Amino acid sequence: MPEGSTSGFLRRREKVNIYKIIDKLFLYLIRFVSMISVLLLVFIVIFILKESLLTFEEVSFYDFVFKKGWRPISENPELGILPMILSTLYVSILALGIALPLGVGSSIFLSCMVNEKNRNFIKPIIDLMAGIPSVVYGFMGLLLIVKFFERKLSFSSGESILAASILLAIMILPYIISTCDESMIKILKKYESTSKALGVSKYHMIRYLILPTAKKGILASVVLGLSRGMGETMAVMMVIGNSPLYPKLFGKGQTIPGLIALEMGGASVNSIHYHALFASGLILMMMLMIINVLFYFIRKMMGTVSEE
Amino acid sequence: MKRLSMIFLMMILIVSLAVGCSNSEPTKAEAKEPVGKIVFKGSSTLAPVITQITKDFKEKYKTWDQVNENFANEDIEIFITGGGSGAGVKSVIDGSANVGMVSRPVTEEEQKTIEGYKEYKLGTDALTISVNPENKIYEVKDTLTTEELKKIFSGEYKYWDELDAKLAHEEIVLITRDIGGGAHKVFEEKIMGDSKVSENVIQAPSMGALVTKIIENKNAIGYASYGVVNQNEGKIMPLKVDGVEPTAENIKNGSYIISRPLLVITNKDVTESEQVLLDQIVSEEGLKVVEELGFVPGK
Repeated sequence: MPEGSTSGFLRRREKVNIYKIIDKLFLYLIRFVSMISVLLLVFIVIFILKESLLTFEEVSFYDFVFKKGWRPISENPELGILPMILSTLYVSILALGIALPLGVGSSIFLSCMVNEKNRNFIKPIIDLMAGIPSVVYGFMGLLLIVKFFERKLSFSSGESILAASILLAIMILPYIISTCDESMIKILKKYESTSKALGVSKYHMIRYLILPTAKKGILASVVLGLSRGMGETMAVMMVIGNSPLYPKLFGKGQTIPGLIALEMGGASVNSIHYHALFASGLILMMMLMIINVLFYFIRKMMGTVSEE
Repeated sequence: MKRLSMIFLMMILIVSLAVGCSNSEPTKAEAKEPVGKIVFKGSSTLAPVITQITKDFKEKYKTWDQVNENFANEDIEIFITGGGSGAGVKSVIDGSANVGMVSRPVTEEEQKTIEGYKEYKLGTDALTISVNPENKIYEVKDTLTTEELKKIFSGEYKYWDELDAKLAHEEIVLITRDIGGGAHKVFEEKIMGDSKVSENVIQAPSMGALVTKIIENKNAIGYASYGVVNQNEGKIMPLKVDGVEPTAENIKNGSYIISRPLLVITNKDVTESEQVLLDQIVSEEGLKVVEELGFVPGK
């Protein structure tokens, strides 16, 4: 009997050991996989840096970012992407301006107004909007928005910053809605019964409890929407006209992703044109990083009231 | 239990990954020379022509051993991707495609970087200066001179009535291809010379998009490919340049000046099967397809 119990004990110990080994292996595997993804990012950054730095032997960084004039293949190449930088910012901020009120409104409606059944019906449809390919959006923009501007508002050409912003607003709407909605639902679950017990009306609760508390969630959706908007290529390229001009609301413009997508195919390898396109990609990445860092600090500063 | 199944899942994943990797290598050694897939890359103008020719080729033979006994019994796999003439040259230099499609002259510099450079001319395409049929310009003015074109495309003329008082006071909408592209280079060389194309232009990402824009906007003017114009006859109006109409004959004898060659290019690594395909492209049948799609065939 004592022998049996000892061997049983041993067997159990062996088993525990095997689990420990498997755990260790799994840990290493996870580490390895996550390291690969981090390394990927590092390599991408290094590659873009390497390809773009050659541009700055030709033009100074300052001239590249703050000068106008894009003639990369003429005899004396002019490389200044200020109009593109401004257009990129203009289009995405305007799009955000259009999409944010709509998005916050819809998420309040979704989280506080509709019952569970309808919510479960509407939410997936909105999420589905995020899955529509951007070329399809671009095509719709070309056929509906651009044509509307030309036919009804008699623009000489419907391709404009405004058209791109409207289209982009529709595209980033699902991201804004789902981010805001998520945080609002959390808040609602936490405080609903308290609020009801106090006899506060629903609209009072939304105005004075949910909206202020969801600040961080809304900010997160702003960052997400802005990043998405600045990186959007195909749809914007199809409706903005791609002219390297300073952006005007009803005028044509060109965004950085549009510039890269349009010209990368034609740029011959290792030409100044090719490197300049990489450099503009670098600038775009830097802009996105700055915006993300900025919002991170704003979020930190925003105080102690949080939804968690 | 959950953890166990998780580990199990990971194992399956790893094993399947390993298997997946080993699968990508050829599994059985064929006695005959395997062909593999052939990749074409480059000009979006030329892509439909090559697509049509290779489609006919595929339908005729189906597998490679039907083409020639020396080839392995493999399905004919041909991939055609766009990206522009520049991408065509690039892909031949770095070997990402077997054959490059180029619709502009290949510069000497580029020819030097390609080892064993060889080009096959399929025909000629012209860039026609085209407008929307609703634009009455072809009733008022029969022909545009190079000088007028320069003024239009450099942005000196902003409204149509500046070109001719009988035309409406409406803004001229300029449409070009991307400035790095083959078409734009040809246009700049043949028409613009030293003057610069205005920045207030709509840059279309493909020849198809350019023509669609002209069809849809009544104030638009752009350089549409002769072939694409023929494919959209009646919906778009090509104009004469310096009194020369863009016809097959005028393009061929060179009197219509804004023309460009349609080329496929290769480097030194041409396999036998690729050579067969290239011969097919420049054969009578191939050139017939070039003509059917509206271009001017000829070597």
